[in-house]
Amino acid sequence: MLIENTKCECGHQNPPGTALCEACGKPTGEADGNEPLPMRYEGAARRSQKAQKNAADRIWSFFSSVRTAVVLLLLTLLGAAVGSVFPQENTILNADAIDLAEYYRRQYGMVGYYYYRLGLSRTYDSWWFRGLLVLLGTSLVVCSLDRVLPLYRALSRQKVRKHPTFLSQQRISFRAQVEVGGQAGSADLLDRLAERLRRRGYRIRKDGDALLAEKGRFSRWGPYINHVGLLIVLLAVLARSIPGWSMDQYLAFPEGETLPIPETPYYLKNERFTVEYYREDELPETLRQKGAVVPKEYRTEAVLYECTANCDDPMKPPVLREVVRHDILVNKPLRYRDLLVYQFDFAETPQIVKVRPTLRNAVTGETIGKLELRTKQPETEYRVGAYKLELVRYFPDFSLDAEGRPTTRSPVPRAPAYVFRITGPNLPADGVSHLYLVRPADKETYREADLNRAAGSPFSLSVESMQEDLEFSLYTSYLNVRKEKALPFVLAGAAVFIIGVCIGLYWQHRRVWVQVENGELLLGAHTNKNWFGFRLEVARVLREAGFPTDPRAIDKGGKRSWT
Amino acid sequence: MDLTAVSSAFLFVAFLLYCLAFIGFAVAITGRRWSNRSPETHSRRWGWYSYGLAAVGFVSHAVFFGTRWAAAGHIPTSNMFEFMAFLAMMTAGAFLLLYAFYRAPVFGAFAMPVCVVLLAYASVFPKEIQPLIPALQSYWLYLHVTTAAAGEAFFAVGFAAALMYLVRTVDFRRTWPRRGVEFTLYLGLVIAAFAILVYTFRAAGYEAVFREGQPAADKQSTGSAVRTVTYTLPPIVAPADGELLSMDPFLGLSRPLFRAPSWMNGVQAGRKLNTVIWSLAGGAVLYGLLRTVARKPLGQAVAPLISGLDPEDLDEVSYRAIAIGYPIFSLGALVFAMIWAQEAWGRFWGWDPKETWAFITWLFYTAYLHLRLSWGWRGMRSAWLCVLGFLVVMFTLVGVNLVIAGLHSYAGV
Amino acid sequence: MEDMKKQKRWLQAVIFAAVVVLGGYTIVEGFRSPTKTPEVGDQAPDFALSAVDGRIYELSGLRGKVVLVNFWGSWCEPCKREMPAIESQYRKWKPSGFEVLAVNIGESAVTVKGFMEQYGLTFPALYDPNESVRKKYGVVVYPTSFFIDARGVIRFKQEGEMNEPMIERIVVSLLS
Repeated sequence: MLIENTKCECGHQNPPGTALCEACGKPTGEADGNEPLPMRYEGAARRSQKAQKNAADRIWSFFSSVRTAVVLLLLTLLGAAVGSVFPQENTILNADAIDLAEYYRRQYGMVGYYYYRLGLSRTYDSWWFRGLLVLLGTSLVVCSLDRVLPLYRALSRQKVRKHPTFLSQQRISFRAQVEVGGQAGSADLLDRLAERLRRRGYRIRKDGDALLAEKGRFSRWGPYINHVGLLIVLLAVLARSIPGWSMDQYLAFPEGETLPIPETPYYLKNERFTVEYYREDELPETLRQKGAVVPKEYRTEAVLYECTANCDDPMKPPVLREVVRHDILVNKPLRYRDLLVYQFDFAETPQIVKVRPTLRNAVTGETIGKLELRTKQPETEYRVGAYKLELVRYFPDFSLDAEGRPTTRSPVPRAPAYVFRITGPNLPADGVSHLYLVRPADKETYREADLNRAAGSPFSLSVESMQEDLEFSLYTSYLNVRKEKALPFVLAGAAVFIIGVCIGLYWQHRRVWVQVENGELLLGAHTNKNWFGFRLEVARVLREAGFPTDPRAIDKGGKRSWT
Repeated sequence: MDLTAVSSAFLFVAFLLYCLAFIGFAVAITGRRWSNRSPETHSRRWGWYSYGLAAVGFVSHAVFFGTRWAAAGHIPTSNMFEFMAFLAMMTAGAFLLLYAFYRAPVFGAFAMPVCVVLLAYASVFPKEIQPLIPALQSYWLYLHVTTAAAGEAFFAVGFAAALMYLVRTVDFRRTWPRRGVEFTLYLGLVIAAFAILVYTFRAAGYEAVFREGQPAADKQSTGSAVRTVTYTLPPIVAPADGELLSMDPFLGLSRPLFRAPSWMNGVQAGRKLNTVIWSLAGGAVLYGLLRTVARKPLGQAVAPLISGLDPEDLDEVSYRAIAIGYPIFSLGALVFAMIWAQEAWGRFWGWDPKETWAFITWLFYTAYLHLRLSWGWRGMRSAWLCVLGFLVVMFTLVGVNLVIAGLHSYAGV
Repeated sequence: MEDMKKQKRWLQAVIFAAVVVLGGYTIVEGFRSPTKTPEVGDQAPDFALSAVDGRIYELSGLRGKVVLVNFWGSWCEPCKREMPAIESQYRKWKPSGFEVLAVNIGESAVTVKGFMEQYGLTFPALYDPNESVRKKYGVVVYPTSFFIDARGVIRFKQEGEMNEPMIERIVVSLLS
């Protein structure tokens, strides 16, 4: 069994797999004079580089490799692209009520049919796409852990004095004879260089006749910070599937109605809906010619209630407590705790909401009184004057069916008809039947007066003023009710990502090592990116210290150090 | 004084100045041999003149932006024309910034045409200031669009530098690299052809009218009734279920040549397909003409002009542009987009085609940075990735609108 | 050194465990459709609604019987046409353990009551004023009928009008 000798000549024991001695920087292996030193992670040993003994180690290396990460990124890219070809299932209205295979075949031909059959119409929820995201997350964690710990250790322990080979084999290195001899001269030179570097923001550490100038170390942590940010985003997105963390409902609220919001203890009332359209002079020519009607602004004046009692009781009405009032506009949702209610759309749905007819004696014309009728869930008992009216039949959209029986065409109160049993003074004991048709046109068509007279009713019921005695609702407001508990975490993760990416890309970690020994100036310099700018800076510092040189001359280039 | 007309005038001035700057940069690199001054001085002088022209052009462009904003009452990035014009402006700005570091006139000779082509493409679309539908009235919109465009502008500049690198270093005797370069140049010509064709036919007042209609089945399609579709380009392909109402004859063609496949039944699908076919054909014609004049692959013809430039510097510029643009793009196209989507539609991510392709673009450039920084992919490989990446960006901006409908769709041609 | 190795192993194990758990959850969760409407073979979602006769009817309270849950509206022609058939089958098979719950969709009490009286129907008609049960069952077509067996499992779903032979066939097969 071969035991690798990892003890450096400077006396430090390095872990196996180390490329550059942790203490003095001397390369452990054979050094190729023309190639710059492998400075990756300061030449420290990474776990995944070490000998892989068991399956766990192999899996770790697999996820830690950049190749895996890039392959995963590209696979995700392709998967996402494939999912964008045809509209996904979640964009189809009533997707659960129609035959999707047939739908895709009809809309997009056989290609569409196979697209559906292969599950591609649900790409983003599919097991393989989610699996890719899981693998990416794993790669993020493993890649980062594998690298950041050795890097941190190496950078915080770095020594000022390095082996001369370390300096001379850096990608940027410079060697020159120093004219002024002796210790004093070299110290002076070192100070001059230190001063020039300090002016440029470098932090200087000295050790005798050696110097380390460093700036921008924090930028090395950039990639790891942005990986953390991405992980937070992935976890937050995953958290959305926790029950109660996310909700997306589209609900219709006709004007004037209070309706429950399913899966919550809330009710919402649409008190009033208003829409403002762009005036003709606000529209451009082409739209004006088309006579286009473009909404400028529309709002729902909404009231949110919370149910405090009888919430699940089918017999009793729920007890509601008002919690918040808000005018909901597009982009200005109603917010309460973590509930969000957005204005999504609207429709013109004119309906009669309330009717206030006057009860009269049909013969004498004498007014008896007024009653108020609702068109949705009307009350069953009314008292007018001395009379009691009991509602026995109600048809919101009155008509006669094929057999001549009264019926309703739809649940929308377009042509309401009420049948009362009226009891009171001077009436038979079990009362008289009375039919009330709200619309004057209906009264004509169905000969309401004749029917009532034949039934023995001495009354007439009608509305006196169309403006005052009828209440209309004109619009139905479509609201999107959402809960997105995970969103703040997603945004936090995104912010961390952006910060990490800026730190990593907009700053660089630059280091310059200088030694003045035996009349010779030796300089080595390294940066993690932007060699172009760095060599300009180093050359300028050298020139200011009295060693004019061309930036390209000090840069070995080299295939292994990138950018 | 009509502010809209004033702003359009400034845009036109910017367009002209970019064209002149392009010519100036071209003279800077080609005139070296003829000038009686030293090549260095000549190139530097002309480089500065052209930089000045481009800078004034940028200022004029910015004035267009500001005056249009004042005229419209909202930031002018709300339709295809405005957005593309803004992207062109940001590209010019990114170029001006990077030129200050890497002063190579030939860089301008590649970057300026990108701006010109973007503006030409933009000008084809309806220019009228339109009132904003309620969903677009939010300052997150401003932030999202402007930041995303700024990021994409840097990608555009990186693309220009990468293309230059390829033209400079590709061995035109090897089949696939040659074809790759030519294809990329061809795509640029396709966009130029698109603009030229639409302008020409519009100026001639060409029109062909179809009637088409089908019921709407998904939440997002707007047309549901029978409607008329007007083509501005002669119809090679008719809408899938369209009925020809009238058609100006063109070169003896009085009927469409064929019909779009039946599964192409999106809004205006037939017209879009027709436009795509015309653009591809027009690009091919332009390419053929230029190639005949040059008598060699276009890339090879242009290569001598760049021979004085160090490929490593070009490689550096293209990488730097991407590195600068990537955080900006991530912020604008993803983060601000999520915030705005949450505000406007109540969901921060819905895999809308435009959103999906922004994500794809982001994934691509992420892969690029990893390959470059961790794997040392420099030079040729990096340049190809930059070119491909920009094609992805253009697909996100153009292709998605053209091919895939969604909540994001703008008015099309 | 040995300590570090142990620490690293432990860390590896934790990470892999987390990946397996979270990853498995993520993937499996994707299979669950967010809008799961009950289909044949699923357990019928329970509900409790009040009826025309003033009582509250709970679906789970009818466990052990064969139940027809019918969603209808008084304006719906096919619903009206199938009512006599349902009534006839209800009378025939109720002694054998067949029950009917006719869930009305959002109409007023007086309408529902009037309808039942007008057509002489004796099975329970339930009010669903907020349409919550309709949404729970994913009903978009009227009438829709769910036949539920004695164990509470949906055995048959019919969208559209039914006729008497069809109802009889299903009820008989479920009763046996």
